[in-house]
Amino acid sequence: MRRFAAFACLAVLAAGATACGSSGTPPAKSAPGQKDKVAASVIAIVDVAPIYLGKQKGFFDQQNIDLTLSTSQGGAAIVPAVVSGQVQIGFSNMTSLLLAASKGLPVKVVCNGVASTGVADKDYSAVLVKAGSPVHTAADLAGKTVAVNTLKNIGDTTVRASVRKAGGDPKAVRFVELAFPDMLAALQAGRVDAIWEVEPFVTAALGTGARMVAANYVDTAPNLTVATYFASVALTKANPDLVKRFVAAMNQSLQYADAHPDEVRQALGTYTKITPDVAAKLILPKWPTGINRQSVQTLADLAVGDGLMDKAPDLNALLP
Amino acid sequence: MIVRRTVALLGLPAVLVAAWWVASAGSTDFYRPPLARILAAFRDTWFGRRLLDDVAPSLARLAVGYTVALCAGIAIGVAIGASPRLRALTEPVLEFLRAIPPPVLVPVVILVAGIGDLMKVLVIVSGCLWPVLLNTVEGVRAIDPTLADTARVYHIGGTLRLRRLVLRAASPQIVTGARQALSIGIILMVISEMFAASSGLGFTVVQFQRSFAIPEMWSGVLLLGLLGVLLSLGFRAVEARVLGWYHGLRAVARGSR
Repeated sequence: MRRFAAFACLAVLAAGATACGSSGTPPAKSAPGQKDKVAASVIAIVDVAPIYLGKQKGFFDQQNIDLTLSTSQGGAAIVPAVVSGQVQIGFSNMTSLLLAASKGLPVKVVCNGVASTGVADKDYSAVLVKAGSPVHTAADLAGKTVAVNTLKNIGDTTVRASVRKAGGDPKAVRFVELAFPDMLAALQAGRVDAIWEVEPFVTAALGTGARMVAANYVDTAPNLTVATYFASVALTKANPDLVKRFVAAMNQSLQYADAHPDEVRQALGTYTKITPDVAAKLILPKWPTGINRQSVQTLADLAVGDGLMDKAPDLNALLP
Repeated sequence: MIVRRTVALLGLPAVLVAAWWVASAGSTDFYRPPLARILAAFRDTWFGRRLLDDVAPSLARLAVGYTVALCAGIAIGVAIGASPRLRALTEPVLEFLRAIPPPVLVPVVILVAGIGDLMKVLVIVSGCLWPVLLNTVEGVRAIDPTLADTARVYHIGGTLRLRRLVLRAASPQIVTGARQALSIGIILMVISEMFAASSGLGFTVVQFQRSFAIPEMWSGVLLLGLLGVLLSLGFRAVEARVLGWYHGLRAVARGSR
């Protein structure tokens, strides 16, 4: 009977939420002479170092933007926050955004976020195996278990791309979901045969003797656009000037970060728990200002091919 | 009589569902779709291969975990309840262990038991064990001394004493613990599938949320609620059989007063 009551309460809550739910509140127009407030929700990983560095350098202030950064666990939490207007800008990987757009969510990419280095043995993302593993190339992953941070997303589709490129059977790879920090222990204990990691965990894993068997981002597309900053369609229509200024500041931040790796390594300590000695060693991604449209198309094709979505969204509507 | 009971059972849910239906009809909010769409998604999502691929493994893990917790809880509980010395020795430790929320144990369990079904079953056991165990201890401790003495006088011991006296006398308490454990088990079934999973109900609901399949996500939540109702009804049927004597006894006691 208690279960019953819980179920009933759930229905009431849902009904109430539906009845009074409002969404799409545009950011408050500030008074003349005051800066526009922009809240951005990002993930506390290496990829978003430019926005922290840019804020620190005052690039957003120069564009008359008062930027507030908050961190969230992942795209699945950030997309609703952006669509409902709780924050104006979000950071998410491209596959998640393609999925969101294919389901009809009103999101619009505003500028580039982060890209692969495009160099196979020096990328910030890699598939790793234990020292002494019988897996030597991506093709050997067929029939093996690979850990990814989220299933049916950019991780498994790009790892399958690596396997396909190496001539293996991508359908024969088993994927299991583990958080990035938990993967290395699972690999060493033999729970999984391979792990897909990104920095700083790649460097940490290599330090324990793990061996790299594939650079999944590099195998997917040259200079793959991995993640981008996005806004709600409502905001881009209601306040195109604000979005334009954000993009200008963001592009300046991306360029600055790309040109000043030492400052990036220092900035990492301000919003992640990466220690200075690890920050000094890890491989940084690339931060170009342009979005590699061809690579986004590739991600969309992979997502459709692997059954993540039925139909790719209109890239012209999604990308700037 | 039957009509009134049916109305009492289904009346409020029917009203709530109707209210939900009306309030959500025509909703264009992406995250709060109309109930009609959720129900359509329910049909398309769950009546097919998913029933076998996701619902069945979840329920199997719940069944195994719950059964193990039930057996272990009763066995350990009887041993501890019957011996005052053992009880004094173990009580602080038991209180400590039961206070640990099982979800925080998941990363630890992964290290010990891997990422397969064993881990998920252990998580369910680690939560379901305590209500059964502690209630059994209390139930065994509270056995009517007159009955216990009588059994001793008649030299009733061994399995006969265990079955006819100890378990029977403690069964109302054990059943109470088992009922609590069932609802904890359903919660942990879902939580254990949010880590290192590749199948299951909890896993599928999270997967839907992440891939922005919102009506399907809601349908998964509905299914979990319905499963809870069904399991609770099943439990009541079992309880009516197991505790029939007890309810009868209470009714008689009430009537004679």
